[in-house]
Amino acid sequence: MVQTHPRTILIAALGGEGGGVLAEWIVNAAIKADLPVQATSVPGVAQRTGATSYYVEMMDAPAPQGLEPVFALVPAPGRVDFLVSSELLETGRLLERGFASPDRTVLISSTSRVYTTAEKMQMGDGRFDSSKIDALARSIARHYVPIDLERLALETGTIISAAMFGALAGAGAFPFARAHCENAIRAGGRGAEASLKGFAAAFAAVASVDATKPAVEPAAATAKPPGGFAGLPRDVRDVIVRGQTHCNDFQDEAYGELYLDRVRVLIAAAPPAEDPHVAHALEEGARRLALWMAYEDIPRVADLKTRKTRFERIRREAEMRDDQLLHVVEYLKPGIEEIAAMLPLRIGDAIMRRAASGKTTWPLGTGINISTTGVFGFWTMRALAQFARVRRSSLRFAQETQAIDLWLAAMRKALASSPAFAGALAEMPRLLKGYGDTHLRGRTNYAAIFSAIVAPALDAGRLDEAAGPLRNAVAAALADPDGKVLAKTLASADRASEPRRLAAE
Amino acid sequence: MAEVSFGKEIDLLKLGKGETFHGEGILAVTKALLQSGVTYVGGYQGAPVSHLLDVMVEAKELMGDLGVNVQSCTNEASAAAMLGASIMYPVRGAVTWKSIVGTNVAADALSNLSSPGVMGGALIVVGEDYGEGASVIQERTHAFAMKSTMWLMDPRPNLTTIVRMVEKSFELSEASNAPVIMELRIRACHARGAFEASDNVAPKISARELQKMPAEFLYDRLAHPPVTYRHEKLKFDVRMPAARKFIADHKLNEVFGGKHDDVGLIIQGGLYNGLIRALQELGLADIYGRTEIPILALNVVYPLVPDEIVKFAAGRKAVVVIEEGQPEYIEHEIGAILRRADLNTVLHGKDIFPQAGEYTLEVLVAGLLKLLPRYLPALDLGRGSAFVDEIAGLRAKAQSALVGPLPPRPPGFCVGCPERPVFAALKLAERQVGKVHVSADIGCHAFATFEPFSFGNSILGYGMSLASSAGVQGFSEKRPIAIMGDGGFWHNGLLSGVTSSLLNHGDQILVIMKNGYTSATGTQDVLSTPGPQAQASASGASSVNTDLTIENTLKGMGVKWLRTVDNYRVGDMRKTIVEAMRTPFNGLKVIIAEGECQLERQRRLRPVRARLLGQGKRVVRERFGVDEDTCTGDHSCIRLSGCPTLTVKPSSDPLKTDPVAHVTNGCVGCGLCGANAHAATLCPSFYRAEIVTNPSWFDRAKSGFRRALTRTA
Repeated sequence: MVQTHPRTILIAALGGEGGGVLAEWIVNAAIKADLPVQATSVPGVAQRTGATSYYVEMMDAPAPQGLEPVFALVPAPGRVDFLVSSELLETGRLLERGFASPDRTVLISSTSRVYTTAEKMQMGDGRFDSSKIDALARSIARHYVPIDLERLALETGTIISAAMFGALAGAGAFPFARAHCENAIRAGGRGAEASLKGFAAAFAAVASVDATKPAVEPAAATAKPPGGFAGLPRDVRDVIVRGQTHCNDFQDEAYGELYLDRVRVLIAAAPPAEDPHVAHALEEGARRLALWMAYEDIPRVADLKTRKTRFERIRREAEMRDDQLLHVVEYLKPGIEEIAAMLPLRIGDAIMRRAASGKTTWPLGTGINISTTGVFGFWTMRALAQFARVRRSSLRFAQETQAIDLWLAAMRKALASSPAFAGALAEMPRLLKGYGDTHLRGRTNYAAIFSAIVAPALDAGRLDEAAGPLRNAVAAALADPDGKVLAKTLASADRASEPRRLAAE
Repeated sequence: MAEVSFGKEIDLLKLGKGETFHGEGILAVTKALLQSGVTYVGGYQGAPVSHLLDVMVEAKELMGDLGVNVQSCTNEASAAAMLGASIMYPVRGAVTWKSIVGTNVAADALSNLSSPGVMGGALIVVGEDYGEGASVIQERTHAFAMKSTMWLMDPRPNLTTIVRMVEKSFELSEASNAPVIMELRIRACHARGAFEASDNVAPKISARELQKMPAEFLYDRLAHPPVTYRHEKLKFDVRMPAARKFIADHKLNEVFGGKHDDVGLIIQGGLYNGLIRALQELGLADIYGRTEIPILALNVVYPLVPDEIVKFAAGRKAVVVIEEGQPEYIEHEIGAILRRADLNTVLHGKDIFPQAGEYTLEVLVAGLLKLLPRYLPALDLGRGSAFVDEIAGLRAKAQSALVGPLPPRPPGFCVGCPERPVFAALKLAERQVGKVHVSADIGCHAFATFEPFSFGNSILGYGMSLASSAGVQGFSEKRPIAIMGDGGFWHNGLLSGVTSSLLNHGDQILVIMKNGYTSATGTQDVLSTPGPQAQASASGASSVNTDLTIENTLKGMGVKWLRTVDNYRVGDMRKTIVEAMRTPFNGLKVIIAEGECQLERQRRLRPVRARLLGQGKRVVRERFGVDEDTCTGDHSCIRLSGCPTLTVKPSSDPLKTDPVAHVTNGCVGCGLCGANAHAATLCPSFYRAEIVTNPSWFDRAKSGFRRALTRTA
């Protein structure tokens, strides 16, 4: 039978991942197998991390005498036989353009993500929902092979293109034997041994992929069932147990008890938790309360940075062997308010007054590099960590206690009358994060929203209708660091409530 | 540049008669130049043609054997002017650049080359950067061919045809005394294919066979009045007819017959492969190019040969011109040809195919579906319609499943790039002085127009940033800042920008990214590239501080306010930018932002490190990290960086729902994270890890002592 269409292979990669090398391997293997082949690409700015693609066409048999196939230079939607992608979002991009078809496409996609700058730079969580892409891939390809190619490459000490090659071969993308592929890698020279390992691992892995289960699942909770708090949904109980542990770790067991007391206050105010709105409000409330109570001050940071487990983690992340030595240097620049914050209330207040008056506070607030693996650095940090003992009498503690009490009071009222509003209010402390200017901005935004939306709603007793605006305002505060969106949102919320307020008066 | 090896490519250039060349399109062109016996080659780098020059520059030995003179020109105008050698000497020459931008820069020289015409074959190979992956504005080189009366080749994109057309271009150029341009689209340049090679030809006049006497004085070979009037007549009375005769005699354009005679398709050669695939989709051609609809593939798109067009169109109900890009020059010319011949064949083109944009398979199929039923109603085109519907269905399904748009992934600065910290500093400086007008330029630094920096109010061209801020400074309260790379500085910025600013006492600020190379095009050398010794002794460190050509040039020209800052010292850079904004000094202020291209540094470092590790010697690697338990997930650090290795990951603490910052093991320890943490008072989560492999006894003793006196392990 005359082959009417060429075999088409589309490779999606990011700049610098070796997509060009992969195309070269495929072409060379095809040439050795005596098959007509053409590859082309739009590398443009390869090496520079942008999305890029390579496209290969080949025939399954040599051309008849006197004839030469006319290969296309551009892949066509719906006409790709094998599609391999090194990254899940890029897979999504190709699916969006229609490249995979249920009639012909074998879709091999790495389940790994390389987040884009647009996703990473968000103030909250800007990551695209991977499960959407996974679900689409499942339904739009003839055969879907989700596989963590990045991990395979990492484990075999090679780059991802070798794993992509193995996955293609394992999925039957080529009309020639596996040996041709491996010879092409060997002929490539440098790094051939590692590449062959990556190839083999991916080749084998393709066969064992179970495409019936979602490749990307939501993270599952792992905590042990807690004692007490019976009658609450499991998710809520999990968060409470974690919150208590978190507070114990931050201060001491008494502090963990204080946390539980505060949570009990919330539960007492709430209607039965069968209502999902109530459950959500309690879960978020318990979560944010724990994180808030264990705020990041200098003693906390100094303590976390000098724990044994931390140095173990650094060694693990850097993939260090036991015979390698590690030296760690910290980049610290505690602001004047952070130093004042850990000191006893009166001294802290005095420092802040001095700073506000414009007098010099040098050397407080200058950048320092300190080595936590050095003797001096380590013990300096341990000494700072000891300030945790006087934390309860510090300036920051007093400030946070006051703010937490205010929030708790608002939460109690909200839980009693409007679980939807309580849910939004529970998420509000999410704004209180970061250090220095970032933290200050979060506090300012929090205060602005509290006085513009929360306080008026509580006063007027109109919580249900304020739930939407409150949720919008929190999202707006996380939309941009300059506060432009928040200002606009608060202004419009203000306008919207104007007539009602007049009516109330 | 020295760190990239083109050994395999150079071997391909040495192939002889009967051997098969397997490689990329642009390298096939390079080989074809040698087979044509070129005496000289020049050009300016740019995708997708950089490879031509890069490989030739590295193939010193081969070029020396053949006597070929290879020049890396500092811009396209200087490359175009090289072709002046073929005006008065019977030597073949070729130059290359990225179009349309490069052709714009070269335009003056091209006018004055075309006017007297050439004696030896002159070929310009341009990368026609149109469509997917294109980085420059979408204009056509075709306009330049027409206005300067140069011939334009657009070969069918298979290596055999491309190589044949390169060889024929020189003959055509000599037969008609006119320069020839060959346009190659991105994918054709990168198409990996094969052709049967022939022997390289050593030119008769060359660096080995020197010309003893300079050419005689002939005023009518000068582009100078009054002979330019005669040139204008020669172009159309002599050269054009000679070219048409050559094109027809050598059958440079190809007709592919088909059984449905009522319609004919006239297409630019470069689009031929796509058209065959479209006809396949409609069931009207096979994979070997056998078509049922007749095709005239124009490997030469300017000039057209009226007789060929008339012969192809005569007797048909309609012809359609399939011509990518706008305006539709070919269609207009064919319209005139048909009208003059009083032929009643209907002419279609842009009435059926889209005015702008790439002619992909679906565009071609959709166009043919509009055309064919009108003239060939008996054809069953159901397959084509099904194809169009299928694609629409697939896209609709994907869009509804993905709900929102996918986050974009534009190219960005490399890991550890020295230009990233400059924009971090600029962002921080804006906190002090307010928003500033930024004139951007061409080069890697243009990536700062993307997130997280989003800098740049205009991009006017390569090396044009300072010149483009001249108008702005006249009416702006705050001084505008122009960003320029050292590549742009030597390409054009020195003259267009700096001299003009000095002459006019402009109160502008210029930041020159001194990274040592034209990095965006593949780290080719510039005048101020550090010497090989300086590079070798710097190893993985920056070596650009060893060359002061830029600084000395600026001082010599009279720049009084000049500061050099190490890019990675973000605090210092911020201070310098603020100082430039606020200083009472009225005149050009230049900040040299110093830091060598990280790609080159890593290319040098990798083999050194591998050798040391192989010998079991001490190696220290630095990388940065983020402590996830102190990271609060605000990502301010990412908004000041955008480094690919500074990313996010889910927190190990399930209480935290926002992802935390995370540094991957690809970090090269450039230092930006630490510098930002200090300069912007970010957060205490960053640390620098120094990892010692094969530690010395002193390292081990020191480490043992520390471990004994601390509780770190």
